[in-house]
Amino acid sequence: MNRIAIVSALIAFLVGLTAATFSELRIFLPAILKGAVVTVQVSVLSIILFLFLSLIAGISRSRGNTAIRWIATIYIEVFRGTSLLVILFWMFFVMPEFGLTLSPLAAAVLAFGLNYGAYGAEVVRGAIGAVDKGQTEATIALNMSPYRRMTRIILPQAIAITIPGLSNLTIELIKGTALVSAVTLVDITYAAVQQNQLHYRTVEIFLITVMLYYCLAQFVRFGGEALEEYFTRHLNKRV
Amino acid sequence: MDWRWDFTFDVVLPKMWEAAGVTVWATLASFALALVGGLILMLLKTHRSKWVSRPATEVIEVIRATPLLVQIFFLFFLLPEIGITLPPLTTGILAIGLYNSALCAEVYRAGFQAVPKGQWEACIALNMSTYRTFKDVIIPQSLPPIVPALGNYLVAIFKETPLLSFVAVAEIMQVSKLIGAEYYRFTEAITIAGLFFLVMSLIAAFLIRIVENYVKRSILH
Amino acid sequence: MTHPMIQFDKVLKAYGALKVLEDLDFSVDKGEVVSIIGPSGSGKTTVLRVLMTLEPIQGGTMYVDGEPLNRMNVDGQLVDASKAHISRIRSKLGMVFQNFNLFPHMTALQNCIESPIYTQGKSKAEATDEAMRLLDMVGLADKAGHYPSQLSGGQQQRVAIARTLAMHPEVLLFDEPTSALDPEMVGEVLQVIRDLANSGNYTILLVTHQMGFAREVSDRVCFFDGGKMVEQGRPDDLFGNPQNQRLQQFLSKVLEAG
Repeated sequence: MNRIAIVSALIAFLVGLTAATFSELRIFLPAILKGAVVTVQVSVLSIILFLFLSLIAGISRSRGNTAIRWIATIYIEVFRGTSLLVILFWMFFVMPEFGLTLSPLAAAVLAFGLNYGAYGAEVVRGAIGAVDKGQTEATIALNMSPYRRMTRIILPQAIAITIPGLSNLTIELIKGTALVSAVTLVDITYAAVQQNQLHYRTVEIFLITVMLYYCLAQFVRFGGEALEEYFTRHLNKRV
Repeated sequence: MDWRWDFTFDVVLPKMWEAAGVTVWATLASFALALVGGLILMLLKTHRSKWVSRPATEVIEVIRATPLLVQIFFLFFLLPEIGITLPPLTTGILAIGLYNSALCAEVYRAGFQAVPKGQWEACIALNMSTYRTFKDVIIPQSLPPIVPALGNYLVAIFKETPLLSFVAVAEIMQVSKLIGAEYYRFTEAITIAGLFFLVMSLIAAFLIRIVENYVKRSILH
Repeated sequence: MTHPMIQFDKVLKAYGALKVLEDLDFSVDKGEVVSIIGPSGSGKTTVLRVLMTLEPIQGGTMYVDGEPLNRMNVDGQLVDASKAHISRIRSKLGMVFQNFNLFPHMTALQNCIESPIYTQGKSKAEATDEAMRLLDMVGLADKAGHYPSQLSGGQQQRVAIARTLAMHPEVLLFDEPTSALDPEMVGEVLQVIRDLANSGNYTILLVTHQMGFAREVSDRVCFFDGGKMVEQGRPDDLFGNPQNQRLQQFLSKVLEAG
């Protein structure tokens, strides 16, 4: 189903690209594609930080000792409670007050990673809770250490459960990167705005913008499904 | 770090207080739009005719796949081109409302689908009118999953309103940026903006839990 | 020297006000095969679960091979046991679950070598040799590379037994090992348990609904009701000449149904 969607999206994109090459669309397409490079750059780095934080905070909140659990809970609640744009501004304009001046890219990656990591942590926590209780009991009966239990038994099963949730959050994160112009980066969205102010071709320019984001989202969705299939390949098959 | 309390109380808070009103108004207006728009989109999506349901589904998909900021800019540029001039705040409310309509449509649909098929069949067997079926049987049962989900979208919309600063609406974020630019001091204003969102979100989450419990108890007993 | 293998001393297990096990005194000798029967809610499964430290107890002491399990000796005084102490004593116990609880992301062989390698520090080659021998013993050497989802319930339970044996426990706890199985698979699992019981190498505690099997393999049968051990005895005595009225009712119901 989604494979059809991604193929059709790519075809639509290629057709659009061809049309653009042979019309006046070529005037503004290069600038927007340059923006796409920035969007991808910010996204990839943020996604790495987001996944890392989701895992650490999610595990800490579900299995840590009291102090660690509190720290994780405060992190999750604070970053879920504030607005993404506020965090972004805070990183860029207030962090220098603490003696840490961040480049626009670093501020953006930190803001997106921290913000979506807080949401991802809840996905991971839910998945850990969803692994069958009998699995934990079996590890106790086999005298495994808590560390082995988590890394060898619980997490490998929990990760399969987290994939749909984390892949949705990844798509939200990519959409969220549209805010980076606030810290002077020129991504797809801001390139589109700039081109529109030069050429006044609102419908065409924004159609391309929407298509680019749609392709990125489909790419993540496709990857997520492949990963999910990989992680669950032994779990539900009967021979 | 250097935090100046006199600056905070004399300059930041009075300006922020006015801006908070804009933020709250934008939130409530967008939410109202999303509630109604979501219902309309849901009805279109579940329409009998493929010619209605198919395009509605696609529109929902495209809206959900596009960043909200892109949609705000799109309306901001497009509306004047087709001869509609609106204040930026109204345009922004339209965009946020439309974006969240697509999300709320899914909430409604999931809520109605959660009502067991047997309930619809029982209504047909009892020869109830469509109006009675919805009012007395379906809607009461679908509220418990719908209400908390809509509450979460209210909080999400609230946290999306800072995007209006991109089109120069004088809400909290824009005002704290302006204060920063005017006095070359960002720390107080942006931190207070962050605290404002944090505190309001926590209060809202608490209220949603109360409403959720109330709805569960009063409808499902 | 002649201490029991398992001993419960005034063990209390309660959920709030509900007492699941009340002042339980109960012991099992080395090499003895003991079955526990009783209606659901009688606390019979709880006996195994608290012994395996899956659930905490609220009072009393459990001993394994003469050493306290939930307590430990520090300067001549019994205090609450440390994790290391529990882990050391617990290594003498092995448990087979009603729902197998195999690790679904690992093959049968990987299930059997995971803990020997990482908990007991065996080499992979050594653990694999041992696991293959055990899988062969339960008749599943050819299924070593299969994942649990590719095995029948009976096969999964036999893998679970092999996995437990790979840890070299001295005591085997079976918690209704055939209750989750389709009827045609019960026999193959019972055969494995029968062989283990007859080998004389293990002390076995078996919670079961299979009255015929309990009578056949056990040295002793205990009847639990309402959190207490109401009657115990040699299988022929207990089944042939039950004294307690609750036991008589229970047996007549079970035998009628089955």
